Amino acid sequence: MALHHAAIETAGLVGVTAITLQSMGTVVSVRLNGGLTDAGGPVLRHAARAAVAGVFDRWDDRFSLYRPGSELSRVASGAIRLPNASRELRDCYALALDWRDRTDGVFTPHRGDGVIDLSGIVKALAIVEAGSALESLGQKAWSINAGGDILVSGCPNVTFARRLDPNVDPDWVVALVNPLDRLDLLATVPLRAPLRAVATSGSAERGDHIWTPAPGIRSPFRQVSVLAADIVTADVLATAIVAGGEPMLNQCAATYEIEVLAVLQGGGLLATPGLRR
Amino acid sequence: MRTRAVLLATVASVSVLGIGWQLGTQSIEASQSLTASGNTASTAGTGSTAATDAAAQAAEAAAATAATAQAAEAAAVAAASSDTAAAAQAAADAQAAAVVAADAQVAADAAAAAASSTAGQDGTFTGSVVGTRFGNVQVSVTIASGAITDVTALQLTADDRKSVQISARAAPILRSEVIAAQSANVQNVSGATYTTDAYLQSLQSALDAAGF
Repeated sequence: MALHHAAIETAGLVGVTAITLQSMGTVVSVRLNGGLTDAGGPVLRHAARAAVAGVFDRWDDRFSLYRPGSELSRVASGAIRLPNASRELRDCYALALDWRDRTDGVFTPHRGDGVIDLSGIVKALAIVEAGSALESLGQKAWSINAGGDILVSGCPNVTFARRLDPNVDPDWVVALVNPLDRLDLLATVPLRAPLRAVATSGSAERGDHIWTPAPGIRSPFRQVSVLAADIVTADVLATAIVAGGEPMLNQCAATYEIEVLAVLQGGGLLATPGLRR
Repeated sequence: MRTRAVLLATVASVSVLGIGWQLGTQSIEASQSLTASGNTASTAGTGSTAATDAAAQAAEAAAATAATAQAAEAAAVAAASSDTAAAAQAAADAQAAAVVAADAQVAADAAAAAASSTAGQDGTFTGSVVGTRFGNVQVSVTIASGAITDVTALQLTADDRKSVQISARAAPILRSEVIAAQSANVQNVSGATYTTDAYLQSLQSALDAAGF
């Protein structure tokens, strides 16, 4: 991040740039609208970073299977029996099981070897809690992007978005990346209420995010982006659609108020009506 | 003679189990389409003397269950076809949603019920209310002599007429047809989960550093 700070300072934009931090093996980018250019800006910036980092690290400490000492790792090893696990862990597991049922078992909180793996839902829950943490700092307008899963509130700062019409607040805009070329964008979508969250799942990028219809069967989709009212729904359904293919896509689109952009393995696109021009 | 009777009874019991298993598998698929089938559960058949009857009736019940999905869909579309085209679209969409949105647990229960059923009961059966983005959908099915005689949509609410006219199905789309926001500024990029290393080479890191 040293490189970034240097770039920011030369641009003279300290205080209004994104706050970035590392957690859960990825980078979290936070944008705030309000207070950053005041005298108390640096203090607010510091408080916001600490609050968001605290939330993400706490979820990671409890639920990471990469940390041998995490509560979930100890449940996996048998050191803690599930009924004796914390309420937070059991609630999280219950939520994941609920989503398993709602997706006909396509989304599952169990690894192939039977170990409880909540990585499909933990990041989204951390984003929600980080949003609440920002609200409790008095922030009404913010965006949180954790590894491509994004939740927004209010509208962006004028620094983050040029105001095209003085009477209309600008939208937070998200670009959906082209999985065939990570520096290329497939779409730029405003995150307008009620769809304030977007999550993207891929069938190739990260070990714990390879979800397939069945062992040895490749997903028909290279990448699936889901816009929803909340980040948990967006994240779970993006994962389920990668694993469940087009039937799951249409089932989810019929049941939930979401918009979906799916990239087929060959590069072709499938989109729900709201993502067409 | 007694040994033979016991043997026959055992074979009959195994047959019931086997047939029940097969029918149960079919019923899982069928009852995912309509939760109403969950209500056809009745007492379990264990007596081997009833084996033949039980198997025949279970087969009837399963056939009725399997037919339910298609009939329900056809009926919903037919019922709506006298209305406007929009209503037909709504009914079709809602029905499609109901068909796909059935609860897995109910399906499993229905399969278990079908597998142990001795009789396909006649009567009118009401399915669960299934929430879809088009509103709540609930279907009632009337079965007489093991055949579906009527399918009625009890709830097919459409609070927002406009949203109902829009099919939610994803369709193939050209890249030039994908939405592009009017705003020139993008603050966030969504791609499949990136690692810290990938972040440093991503558009997101450029946006973060540039203050967008």
